[in-house]
Amino acid sequence: MKRINFIHLLILTTVLFTGCNQSTSSEKSGESGGKKLVVGVTMLSMQNEFIVNVSDEIEKKARESDIELITVDAERSALKQIEQVESFIAQKVDVIIMNPCEVEASSPAVTKALAANIPIINVNSETTAKPSAFIGSDDVESGRIAMKFIAEKLKGKGNVVMMHGYMGQAAQIKREQGAREILKQYPNLKLIAHQTGEWDRAKAMSLMENWIQSYGNTINAVFAQNDEMGMGAVKALTDAGLKDNVVVVSIDAIPDALQAVKKGTLDATVFQNAEQQGAQAIETALKIAKGQTYEKETLIPFQLVTKDNLAKFMK
Amino acid sequence: MENPVQTDRNPTVEAYKTRMRGIGKYGIFVAFLLICVVLSVVTPKFLTVSNLTIVVTQVSINALLAFGVTFVIITGGIDLSIGSTVAVTSVVAASFAHPDTYPVLVPILTGLAAGLLLGAFNGLVITKSKVPPFIVTLGTMTIGRGLALILSKGRPVSNLSDSFNFIGGGQIVGIPTPIIILLVFFILCSVVLKKTVLGRYMYAVGGNEQAAKASGIQLNKVKMVVYTLCGGLAALAGILLTSRITTGQPNAGVGFELDAIAAAIIGGTSTSGGTGTMTGTLIGALLIGVISNGLDLMNVTSYYQQVVMGIIIIGAVVLDSLNQHKN
Repeated sequence: MKRINFIHLLILTTVLFTGCNQSTSSEKSGESGGKKLVVGVTMLSMQNEFIVNVSDEIEKKARESDIELITVDAERSALKQIEQVESFIAQKVDVIIMNPCEVEASSPAVTKALAANIPIINVNSETTAKPSAFIGSDDVESGRIAMKFIAEKLKGKGNVVMMHGYMGQAAQIKREQGAREILKQYPNLKLIAHQTGEWDRAKAMSLMENWIQSYGNTINAVFAQNDEMGMGAVKALTDAGLKDNVVVVSIDAIPDALQAVKKGTLDATVFQNAEQQGAQAIETALKIAKGQTYEKETLIPFQLVTKDNLAKFMK
Repeated sequence: MENPVQTDRNPTVEAYKTRMRGIGKYGIFVAFLLICVVLSVVTPKFLTVSNLTIVVTQVSINALLAFGVTFVIITGGIDLSIGSTVAVTSVVAASFAHPDTYPVLVPILTGLAAGLLLGAFNGLVITKSKVPPFIVTLGTMTIGRGLALILSKGRPVSNLSDSFNFIGGGQIVGIPTPIIILLVFFILCSVVLKKTVLGRYMYAVGGNEQAAKASGIQLNKVKMVVYTLCGGLAALAGILLTSRITTGQPNAGVGFELDAIAAAIIGGTSTSGGTGTMTGTLIGALLIGVISNGLDLMNVTSYYQQVVMGIIIIGAVVLDSLNQHKN
């Protein structure tokens, strides 16, 4: 039995490794044709709606500017992302756009690209190593905006619960930091519980159900660090008949959340401009390639979305 | 004898195995009760009707997955693809569940069909190629995740009808529908495993494949049925999840296979095949659910939750195996 298990493991490792090799070799098939500008793009995860939106916009803008794109999915693995950037370097692409998986672990990708004299643009999130340009939004600000809304709604007094994303991810750390900055300004606003919902709607719903058991109607507001979790919290509160008494705010402004704001079940969401991030990334790439001057850092502001200004954000 | 399989097996070994199975289940049941008692003492919010109702509702999805995987593990196999099956089902069912389009039976049937097909695909490749189930279902896991993303273009499928949302979010005579579905399928799966020829064949195939073959059991047929069944139960879990969160999610169910396998193993299903019960699996799933609920109630920080969960799972299984060794 033990030997069979070992063989299983061996086959598994082989399968995994050949799998990796295949994915990198297939990227090489995207050859640079003629003088067309070639841009390599590696995205954090194409299973994330927001990231897909950024990527779609990059693609759209690239088509308009007649740029050849090689887009790959790092599937949340910084290691994979570095390999992808190495492959871009080997293919001698003109510019690299990277949506980093991690602050530290994706840094070597930036260093390697710059060492090979290929400009690299970070989009949406940062790395420790400084890239040629950064385009994104400051997540701390989104946390501030969300918690500020809660503070104003509750007139500075009440009990708040907070749902984290994956613990330790840049977005989670920064959104929490922003929220806590505001909490400090309102001593009567109490954070009675905080816990991870792993960015996931079903997990967040269970978590909210458990909190309702624990704290019942003493909860006055929920801050969820993304809309998926916000929607889960709304569902649990609605099922428990408590939604009318609890303020729920989340971040991202995904279509579902906008619908919920329209219906009045979600009180507010914070809009992060995926289109702007994608478009600016390609624009900067063009400028760099043509040797024009460009902004080293482009910060696209977050916007609070409530029933009052909803129309602007609905497509 | 009413049991055609056990006739050509050593009766004392069989008796010993049955006894061990019984004691194993008992051991985990004790561990489960112990944890419940501890939680009731530590947090007064735990032992209330409303909280326990919520725990069972939350557990229903993992339990359905675990029932399916119990069948598979009993035959000596494994199925890693069920989490992805949940995602495919979720997206497929949701696509047919928009209000004023199709009757509610359509998303249910298409969702189930998707799961059954993925399960049958697993069964077919495993029986025809003799490649270990671990590898085949690992492949299907990736294929399924890809399919879910392709079908949904990477975005959640929202705006589902009220009648569809009732499946996972409604109540019948005050009892949440997921609990009713859970009970119905618990009984059905137990009956299949304990009272039918198919169930006995499953134990036989997992206990000793050569002996089962020699006694005339068609191994491939049993395996086909088992993997298809597992896919079907995963689809059911997917439909329940979709309805509960009122949206189809291509990235739903990531890691669900591990929770389901954990529930089965905690419940006394042996990974080497041939042993396991649905009652054990149900308790395994409840144990995981109760721990997670209890830690939330006590507001244990996320960092510690995972560690505590791991320790309790290992502890429960160690207690279980000590119990078995003693006898």
